[in-house]
Amino acid sequence: MTDPDHDLEQALRALRPAAPGPAVTARIDAELAPPVARRGVIIAWSAGFAAAAAALVAFVFVAEPAEPEAPAYQLVRAERTRPEVQLFRPVELADGSYARPVRVRWEDTTRWEDARTQTRLIDHRPNDRLAFLPLETN
Amino acid sequence: MHDAHAAQDWRAWFAENGARLRLIARQWTRSEADADDVLQEAFVRFWKHQRHLPGNPNALVVTSIRRSALDLLRRSDRRTLREKAVGEDMETVTWFEPEADPRLAALAESLKLLPAEQREVVVLKVWGDLTFDEIGEQLSISPNTAASRWRYAMEALRRNITARTHD
Repeated sequence: MTDPDHDLEQALRALRPAAPGPAVTARIDAELAPPVARRGVIIAWSAGFAAAAAALVAFVFVAEPAEPEAPAYQLVRAERTRPEVQLFRPVELADGSYARPVRVRWEDTTRWEDARTQTRLIDHRPNDRLAFLPLETN
Repeated sequence: MHDAHAAQDWRAWFAENGARLRLIARQWTRSEADADDVLQEAFVRFWKHQRHLPGNPNALVVTSIRRSALDLLRRSDRRTLREKAVGEDMETVTWFEPEADPRLAALAESLKLLPAEQREVVVLKVWGDLTFDEIGEQLSISPNTAASRWRYAMEALRRNITARTHD
């Protein structure tokens, strides 16, 4: 005589549960990885970072290109414009004396050039001075 | 079946047992993702700390799965929803590989119609390879209660299959 429960149990056992996806296996794999291997990974990463840092330092400090030396400028010209003198009316100063204000303006231009790099440096300075010319009064 | 006590490579053991362990996890969780999380946590704990323990490895790993599933339910504050979650929100289609045999397909479908307390006994006995004594320990019920739930489950499954076959 056949046990109906047994048949049903056998039928249940014939059902095939869905297998876990590869993501689950990968996550378990990551958790069960031997500690030594993990340390190895960390060491490998550390070594990688150290190497990268060393390369960066070498790039910045050691392997810096020799090309950008400061240009060797030579003075080629220095010019001063004719001063422009402007006289004003005499004024009385605090001590009772008189003086004539004088305003003098001129420009200085200095030019340097570096023949190797074909660069030039121009220094242009406008000047503006105010002075008092003492006046003698009788 | 590889002996978990002796097996050195978890992959071989997991390849052989992963599917049924996932089914056990699935029937205690709300979703496929939860089942995967529970399976991962439980298996890692079992393999790292428990597989060398004396006793039935199946019972140990099932205990680990149940513990992780309950922890997840507590963490998710879903404890009160458990019966609803396990009883109503499940799709048993994804529990099993598709079956060409209509009787097996009907059986897989009927499994979800069982009350949760009967279904977990069926799952633990069939795919957990546990005895009624071990099931009783897992579920904190007596072996007789476990056996009773099994009988009720068989009757219910038989009725469902017969009804579906006649439809």
